[in-house]
Amino acid sequence: MLVPALSSRALDRFGGRLGFLGLTLLYLLLIAACLGSLAREGELSFGRNPVANLLKTAGEFARPSFLDAWFGNPHLEYRSDDGTVLRTENRQTVERDYLAGLGRATWTTIRIATLGSLLGALLGLPLAVLTARNLAAPRPLAWLAKGVLDVARSIHTLVFGLVLVGIVGLGPTAGILAIGLHSMGSYGKLFAEAIESLDMAAIDAVRGVGAGPAQVFFNAVWPTVLPQFVSSHLYIWEFNIRDSTILGLIGAGGLGLLITEATALFQWGRLSTVLLVVVALVVSFDALSRRIRAALA
Amino acid sequence: MNRPVGIALEAVRCSAGSQDLLTIDSLTIRQGERVALVGHNGAGKSTLLRLLSGFMTPTQGNVRVFSHDLGQPLPAHELRALRREVGQVMQGLHLVARLSALDNVLIGSLGRVGGWRSWTRCFPADEIHRGEAALHAVGMLARAAIRADRLSGGERQKVAIARLLMQGPGLILADEPTAALDPSAAVDVCGLLREAAATATLITVVHTPALLPLLAERVIGLKQGKIAFDLPIAAVNAEKLANLYRPAGESADRHGPSVPDQHRVTGQEVFS
Repeated sequence: MLVPALSSRALDRFGGRLGFLGLTLLYLLLIAACLGSLAREGELSFGRNPVANLLKTAGEFARPSFLDAWFGNPHLEYRSDDGTVLRTENRQTVERDYLAGLGRATWTTIRIATLGSLLGALLGLPLAVLTARNLAAPRPLAWLAKGVLDVARSIHTLVFGLVLVGIVGLGPTAGILAIGLHSMGSYGKLFAEAIESLDMAAIDAVRGVGAGPAQVFFNAVWPTVLPQFVSSHLYIWEFNIRDSTILGLIGAGGLGLLITEATALFQWGRLSTVLLVVVALVVSFDALSRRIRAALA
Repeated sequence: MNRPVGIALEAVRCSAGSQDLLTIDSLTIRQGERVALVGHNGAGKSTLLRLLSGFMTPTQGNVRVFSHDLGQPLPAHELRALRREVGQVMQGLHLVARLSALDNVLIGSLGRVGGWRSWTRCFPADEIHRGEAALHAVGMLARAAIRADRLSGGERQKVAIARLLMQGPGLILADEPTAALDPSAAVDVCGLLREAAATATLITVVHTPALLPLLAERVIGLKQGKIAFDLPIAAVNAEKLANLYRPAGESADRHGPSVPDQHRVTGQEVFS
């Protein structure tokens, strides 16, 4: 009789800690299982000479190809083994052409991200209105909308892209649709949260002066919700700029296409140029959007 | 007391589920009267205010505010007409946070300004002048362009009163307008409220006895949804207020949810 009473009291006091300890043990077990099984399958190797490879790759990365547009050899000679000149190449014009192509690819990426984000926002807004709890849409509709948003959010842009390339063909359209469908999920969630955080007391106060529904909407709901919508839009747009750089991998065009080319041909110098553009693009858009969002807060 | 009747309640009962929130046999408030409602939380003060502003309809009985009969749910246009005549000051969050003080004051003119002007918030020049005059009257003109969520609690309450001046209602309902304010700001706000209500009926919910003389000439004490006393301010003393605020019996009101339902009901019958 005494023992169960004691143990239940002990559980009350230490139950939380015991539970945490158990979870930690489970976590460590999972890690051991992952590492151990990979090691037994011989999949934990770093290749034959990782250090030499690393140094070589890093060396080529450190000399991005765009430098050749100004400092490249204007008379690079390609010779056969017996020393005859096969052809000469002006590295400067070649790299300048590549830079022009890079500019076009960047513009394509920006277009995919921008139009895809707009599409996602337009698709997400009605679904957000349906899922926002304080608007009390009919239950089945709300569940359906929430289901659509969850599915959209859990399928990666790349997967959407692969499917869509099969439907609408290669090109930016597939990229725009992929970005739109995936970010619809994020937009719906953020918009619904913005609507749910509406200050109902303020809305009641405006209703309390005898304002009609349209007046309440434009004087209380719109000024509160609009800045939050714009802020989430910028946030996801910025995210999509990053996402769309990878969409070229599956044939949607843009910077991703150049990344695939460069990696397929082991041209680390060119990859380094492309990545510099990606970083510059993301960082500058991030700075811009952060400034706008701070002004809206 | 020969002013016309502004508010009349008759055999009113408001209930939520099995619980009676408010039971009033008869209550008349004349136009221009200044009335304070006192009583502890859950005594039915806010219910009474919600009843008068058309945010709630009684379960039974007649409620008349000016020419409007609130016994049944009003059609939307008549409800809006009623609310144009009823100004409200509530505690805390009742300004649109992202709009400037002036824009919030201009909301008071929505009953007069209609159509696209009220949707785009391009109010006519004379309304803007009136809004600025209202802000000036509460000493807030210098802060007109500041967003409501950057104002202090007292300043927000003053903006709410300026909105009231803008609306120009015949009945003002104030629900604990000084709840979040320090004592000097509370006195300030009460004075402004009193000026705003110079020609209007004023009904205020207050908990601070010191503010009663500022706000009221008549005090109605509510206890467990019923009128415990209804006296001119001169007849209200500390003992009456202490009686009113003393928890009833097993303090059924405060521990309401945890006490079994049938016990609570007997408690009410015994102690009220």
